[in-house]
Amino acid sequence: MEDFAAADRAPSGQPPVSVHFVNNVLAAAAGYIEDDPDEARDVLALLSQFLSYRLRAAPGTVTVEGEMEHVATYLRLEQARFPDRIVVELPGAADLPDASVPRAAIQAPLAEALDRRLGQRAGPCRLTLRVRPGRPELDLELGTPGEVPAGAEHVRIVLAAQAVDAA
Amino acid sequence: MNGLAILAVDDEPRALADVKRLLENSSSVDRVATATSAKEALVYLSGGKYDALFLDVQMPEIEGMALARLLRRFADPPAVVFLTGHPDAAVEAFEVQALDFLIKPVSRERLDAALRRVADHARPAPAGASESPGDGNGGGDGMTPSRPDVVAVDNPKGGGKRLVRLETIQAAQANGDYARIVCDDGRYLLRTPLTQLEKDWTPLGFARVHRAWLVNLAHAVELRAQQNGTAVLVLRDGTEIPVARRNVAALRRRLNA
Repeated sequence: MEDFAAADRAPSGQPPVSVHFVNNVLAAAAGYIEDDPDEARDVLALLSQFLSYRLRAAPGTVTVEGEMEHVATYLRLEQARFPDRIVVELPGAADLPDASVPRAAIQAPLAEALDRRLGQRAGPCRLTLRVRPGRPELDLELGTPGEVPAGAEHVRIVLAAQAVDAA
Repeated sequence: MNGLAILAVDDEPRALADVKRLLENSSSVDRVATATSAKEALVYLSGGKYDALFLDVQMPEIEGMALARLLRRFADPPAVVFLTGHPDAAVEAFEVQALDFLIKPVSRERLDAALRRVADHARPAPAGASESPGDGNGGGDGMTPSRPDVVAVDNPKGGGKRLVRLETIQAAQANGDYARIVCDDGRYLLRTPLTQLEKDWTPLGFARVHRAWLVNLAHAVELRAQQNGTAVLVLRDGTEIPVARRNVAALRRRLNA
């Protein structure tokens, strides 16, 4: 299990946006233009949403629920880059802790882990994000669809210590 | 077959579809094959000849850089053009002698410039043919050992290599077996003798004006004669470069001065 303490990672606010990610999303959008223009447009709209969230001048924290919406946007973009390769399972809004976290506190470590996983292994990937009951933590599980979870990689994303209200 | 045969390799299917379509729409390309991994690319390469690989950098199992290094062991390797979302990979691409380096998503204009490089590489100009400085590629971010747009110099800050665009180089000064590169933003050491740079860069707008100096004439604004028969070449930023007596006449002819 790898640990990730978001607050330690981003003392000055938030991690930088990956140029590599943005360029590749744009390339994927270009790839949809010819045979699926609606999807191309959706990808660009989602990228706009992603960048608007990340490049906002407003500092400080966001709710876990707001951050999870950003995570969902990010994952939708990754699915556009790698169609049929990423299966996602995210916690429902009702299960999320009522807490605040730095912007990208969940998305950034999740992106890092997913990027590493996709870079190391070909084929489909199952990504599951779970709230750890009673703890200010999320458990990120990266595995192969159909395989036993025991073989999956786990990353623990530690939320702000004072923000405990897990379901 | 008159056109180019290209193998595009990328693990991202939509990006691959995009570059495939662009390549197929290019009049200089006859054949485009695609592979979604380095392993698959090697299968294609074992079954046919390609003029160039358009290669992603980050791929599972065998990365693009590793494949490029592997290709250098081939007897007649295809040219490698990196097409990647990783701008930071340019230095490494230079080190594996890639013909060009493109950032995704690539414009048609930039892709065409890369294809012209591939065509030049696949069908070298006959000996004595004149070279056109800059290759007409609109200042792309490509690289080639003989006609570079970008030069990898020693980075004095933190080691490693720093990429310097040729057009930003004002002059090169002999420094033993190396050359000191004078750029708009500083001075760097290049591990190449000035005589070699003179051969490589003279067709690209540089002139040897002194035993110790090779100058980018695009930066020159004034040629000032001296009473002893020598001259001084003044650059845009006011830098004065000495011109040896024996080089003055040739420099005047070149500058129509």
